[in-house]
Amino acid sequence: MSIERYQLDDFNALGDPEFRLLVRYFLREHHPVDIINPPKRLHWDEAEPWYMTLAEAGWLAPAWPREHGGMGLSAAKQLIYMDEFERFGAARTPDHGIMLLGPLLIRYGSEAQRAHFLPRILSGEHIWCQGYSEPNAGSDLASLRTEAVLDGDEWVVNGQKIWTTLAGDADWIFMLVRTDKSGKKQEGISFLLVPMDAPGVTVRPIDNLDLQDEFSEVFFDDVRVPKDNLVGEVNKGWTMAKALLGFERIFLGSPRQAAHALSRLRLLAGHVGMLDDPCFFDRYTQLRLDLADHEALFEESADRLRRGETLGADVSFLKLNQTSLFQRITELMLEIAGEDGGLLEPIEGNRDLNPMGLFLTARAATIYGGASEVQRNIIAKAVLELP
Amino acid sequence: MSAHDISEAISMIRESAAGIAVRHDLGRIRKLRYSVPGFDRTTWRNMCEMGWLALSLPEEKGGVGLGMTASCALMEELGRALVPEPVIGATLAIQTLGDDQLPDVLSGEKMILPAWQTTRSGMSTSDPIPVENGTVNGVMRYVPMAAGADAFVVATANGWGLVDAHSPTLALDVAQTQDGGHYGTLTFSGTPVSIVSDTALAGPVAQATLATAAYLLGVIDEAIERTLDYLRTRVQFGKPIGSFQSLQHRMVDLSLEAALTRASVADAARIWDGSPGSSKAYAAVSRAKARASTTAMLVTRQAIQMHGGIGYTDEHDIGLYLRKAMVMAPAYGDAALHRKRFAQYMPDHAEAAA
Ligand SMILES: Cc1cc2nc3c(=O)[nH]c(=O)nc-3n(C[C@H](O)[C@H](O)[C@H](O)COP(=O)(O)OP(=O)(O)OC[C@H]3O[C@@H](n4cnc5c(N)ncnc54)[C@H](O)[C@@H]3O)c2cc1C
Repeated sequence: MSIERYQLDDFNALGDPEFRLLVRYFLREHHPVDIINPPKRLHWDEAEPWYMTLAEAGWLAPAWPREHGGMGLSAAKQLIYMDEFERFGAARTPDHGIMLLGPLLIRYGSEAQRAHFLPRILSGEHIWCQGYSEPNAGSDLASLRTEAVLDGDEWVVNGQKIWTTLAGDADWIFMLVRTDKSGKKQEGISFLLVPMDAPGVTVRPIDNLDLQDEFSEVFFDDVRVPKDNLVGEVNKGWTMAKALLGFERIFLGSPRQAAHALSRLRLLAGHVGMLDDPCFFDRYTQLRLDLADHEALFEESADRLRRGETLGADVSFLKLNQTSLFQRITELMLEIAGEDGGLLEPIEGNRDLNPMGLFLTARAATIYGGASEVQRNIIAKAVLELP
Repeated sequence: MSAHDISEAISMIRESAAGIAVRHDLGRIRKLRYSVPGFDRTTWRNMCEMGWLALSLPEEKGGVGLGMTASCALMEELGRALVPEPVIGATLAIQTLGDDQLPDVLSGEKMILPAWQTTRSGMSTSDPIPVENGTVNGVMRYVPMAAGADAFVVATANGWGLVDAHSPTLALDVAQTQDGGHYGTLTFSGTPVSIVSDTALAGPVAQATLATAAYLLGVIDEAIERTLDYLRTRVQFGKPIGSFQSLQHRMVDLSLEAALTRASVADAARIWDGSPGSSKAYAAVSRAKARASTTAMLVTRQAIQMHGGIGYTDEHDIGLYLRKAMVMAPAYGDAALHRKRFAQYMPDHAEAAA
């Protein structure tokens, strides 16, 4: 079907099974084959064709309301969309604008900010990155020090962000900056939008453990941006950003990474002739049970979303469990790979037999989006109500 | 040698190692990684001059006549500093060579590496390749640092055979490894070979296995020490992160695993030196390697986690310890293989009684 056939006025009018089929057909017909299940996070030049296809179809932003150019999907339909994308192995695009900034602007942005920025995200003109973490503000994000000082009609930004994913590909950065040093740490933080080509912005890529230049340091040296680039109220950035973190955690709690890794474990086990080994089979089966149970737990939260409820701090359970399971699967992969588990390149040049890459990238999952230790602290306090 | 002499010798070895195996500066290690051959011949010669290859070789063969306890002390120091020079392989090779090859090898003039593994996890399945009319045909795999060798000593059906690394009928394929080194795959096609000994494979391989466990012990100890340093200095929420009890408890658990590994390696070295080649000794070596492989992966994974974002970079040295563990944990048999071997060499009493 041509791409226009996928541009419906009201996706929610379709039945769930029809919508599922529609997503499936769309992916099969329009997703570029060479980037299915990419072994690493794609850079913009690799992801651009797919991003633009999604843009053309109007399929980029499933969660945004129709009036802002999104698909306006109900919670139930969003889950189907996500599920089918994961099952297909659809490539993740540089999607910080769609996943994080868009919803925030829709909720807290000014009319002018929405009118300016949302269409440019949807057209691929603006690719965004997320500038929260700093060298001395990671788990303790509220202690961030990059500051913005008002000088006439402009904010002057000085400081440094770090671990900024795909900063080198981004045209803009949404960042948390300190605008007040006097009171409680959380109460002096604002949410600011800064173009990456502004004078005084410098990006230094950092190679990650998998030897990819996926994240960067970003330095701000007297960077000037218009006063209107601040989102919401001054000193209210923390509350807004926290609303997004909850959303990030449910996304990171979806079973996708673990499910993908398990399928690769099975392939590898076949390759090394371990499927008949009773010790391996027992451990493999345990991981299958773990995944099935995680899916069931995830579905409970998904059901609550479908009923229109908001999720509490217990979404942290999902992120905690999914990332741990993802890691355990990749650890078993290395264990059965023998000497090949120490190779730098995929086994026999087959990128589906790359336990090393999966193992290394899985290390990051328990660090980003709130480290596992921090998730446990949140659960202990907010869910278990421990003193 | 008396126990006192041996412990004197061991502290000397540790001290001398510190000059070459510089664990506080991994600059040399970083520079060499992912290059071919991935190590440095001048350093190699220095190591040979220090007698490192000959530690456990008998004195009458030009060795030092110390046992595995001394070798393990050395290997531990090398592991701490992630030394890439193929000391373990070359030491194995020496035990298979005839007297006339030894001087050049011990001086570092000539590097001979062993090729004995035909399959992945080869300890249990390797079979020697046949010799016909003074030549060999076949493939040997997983030869660490093969691209730096002048010759290979190959496990053949007729005993250990020496093959010139530059022989035109020998093809070398190199696959890089996570730690910056490589494995060589050697394909022999009617390659001339001269038989040098009929030393059994098992003994030298077991010693290399134990040496690998000791190297991993060094990796473990250093990763723990570096992580403790980080936990003492990294501040979040206004305190060093090492003041958070969850991290304290984790470090306690990891240190316990390290202590068990240390005890296991020391025990195996003692048992080997007391009765080399006995079932008891093989069992102890397997026990040590199983423990070291598992602990090294556990500790280095957790070390990354406790370093947070900076642990997930290639710029911070802690990642080098994880990469080394990824390569050395499966080398000379992974944990599962050595658990199996332990059970074979040391059948459970209940089972034996039944
Ligand atoms: C692959 C990757 C991509 C990233 N992308 C981005 C991005 O695009 N934008 C962005 O802003 N940030 C990004 N980050 C940063 C990420 O959010 C931080 O790394 C994370 O918040 C942890 O902070 P830190 O690295 O400073 O570690 P630290 O906070 O220093 O933590 C070090 C260790 O201490 C533990 N710890 C800390 N506090 C406690 C406590 N109270 N109790 C127990 N343990 C504790 C941690 O769990 C961790 O194990 C990314 C990180 C990674 C790894």
